[in-house]
Amino acid sequence: MSTYEIAGLTVNYSAKYDHLRKRSAKYRAAEPSSTPDISINVTDGRISGLLSRPNELTLEECEYMLTGQDFYTSLIDFNGMLLHASAVVFEGEAYLFSAPCGTGKSTHTSMWQRYFGADKAIIINDDKPAIRIINGELLAYGTPFSGKYDINENASAPIRGICFLYRSPKNTIGQLPQPKAIHALLNQSIRSSDFGTMQKLLATVGDILERVPVFSMGCNMNPDAVTTSYEAMKKGKVL
Amino acid sequence: MKIKEGYKLCKVRDSSIVVAVGDATMDFNGLVTLNQTGELIWSMLEYGAPDGEIISAIVKEYSVDEATAKSDFDEFTASLKGAGFIE
Repeated sequence: MSTYEIAGLTVNYSAKYDHLRKRSAKYRAAEPSSTPDISINVTDGRISGLLSRPNELTLEECEYMLTGQDFYTSLIDFNGMLLHASAVVFEGEAYLFSAPCGTGKSTHTSMWQRYFGADKAIIINDDKPAIRIINGELLAYGTPFSGKYDINENASAPIRGICFLYRSPKNTIGQLPQPKAIHALLNQSIRSSDFGTMQKLLATVGDILERVPVFSMGCNMNPDAVTTSYEAMKKGKVL
Repeated sequence: MKIKEGYKLCKVRDSSIVVAVGDATMDFNGLVTLNQTGELIWSMLEYGAPDGEIISAIVKEYSVDEATAKSDFDEFTASLKGAGFIE
């Protein structure tokens, strides 16, 4: 069992396989904890269960995925939630771009890096950043769980805005009204079948909507997609 | 008419949404936003109010005539039935 510091929480788990161990390395705590905030135990049974389902996952990837899933489910108990998004930090603030798989959220944030410079626009998690409310402030965190590629930083930043992307021939952006923003956020997170947990998740969604503007953007692959999203999100205000 | 077990009305700021919990998540994994009338009807169905009482409440709350209230009630409960939320 090892202790990691993820999204401001002490998390204990044992990585049986290299994939999870390597990806977790930069989150390893200096001291092991006997009283962690979150304790994760992914059994061999669960790993082989996931492995036997029709997917293209390897044994090692199954352990990594299930550990991430447990972490994000527990995160709901700590004023937090997963958002399926690519999170880029620029000028000290995080911009989160969310979308169903294959829409191009990573493409969009990599365009930010090309436009602003990869040293100035840092991707702290390319697929599954953690969001938490800490002392009233909404923060995005890098975590070891970033999907297919190991693109994440052990870092956090206050969130400037959240944007849901869809593909469009023309770049166009607007703020989402509250009910649509609630649907969009919940559709790109992990839900729980437990009512108490679900109520906590909904409280976090409410806290998010009180603090940051939520957008919907139709985007293409031209560089002006970057200026369109940046300028709108920079000056967006909570509805 | 009764709301099936596992469907819950929740508030997020000033929006009312219905989510599935427990076994109901196997049948329904989406979520539904209710308007004000929907919220009133849902919460009365939740405690088992008879149709007539709910329709009177709509008449009072929204100052509409009984026929309008009844058609709002019928339309809403039909959509709940269609979605499998009531039995």
